[in-house]
Amino acid sequence: MAANNSPLPDGVTKEQAFGMAETEMEYRVELFNRLSQTCFSKCVDKRYKESELNMGENSCIDRCVSKYWLVNGLVGQMLSAGGQRPM
Amino acid sequence: MDKNMLAGLEGMPEEDKMRMASMIDQLQIRDSLKMYNSLVERCFTDCVDDFTRKSLKKQEESCVARCAEKFLKHSMRVGMRFAELNQGAATPDN
Repeated sequence: MAANNSPLPDGVTKEQAFGMAETEMEYRVELFNRLSQTCFSKCVDKRYKESELNMGENSCIDRCVSKYWLVNGLVGQMLSAGGQRPM
Repeated sequence: MDKNMLAGLEGMPEEDKMRMASMIDQLQIRDSLKMYNSLVERCFTDCVDDFTRKSLKKQEESCVARCAEKFLKHSMRVGMRFAELNQGAATPDN
């Protein structure tokens, strides 16, 4: 998306640029949601004995987010190496 | 996701900025509704197992309340970490 009055890349109309920006935003939201769901399932005890997150759960969440993020990067690299370009 | 995303779009013409803001608003609404649905399903699945009557038992109600609150706190924490990673901040490995 042109951020400072610089022209759009060759062959890209403004409509296309908006479309790509929207797709990118949707991708980020989806990534966040999946990450959040996955790490909650992996880190939080389903018995819900209390409404606070304990220290163990907090550390687990931090590490889970970090690892998920790294996996996201790895898979992205592998996909682009294979000739597919997700984004 | 919030309007801080707009901070990078300073030089855009006003109408483009408004279009982006409206896009972000729509995404936020859609995202909140999705979250609502998935949270209900999660807490129901984890807390409710007894179908001998239609009303919720007291412990089912408290379980759902704790489940929802826990998920919301978790979601906030994940949001913070996600934002840090997005900005490329190095976090201590512990």
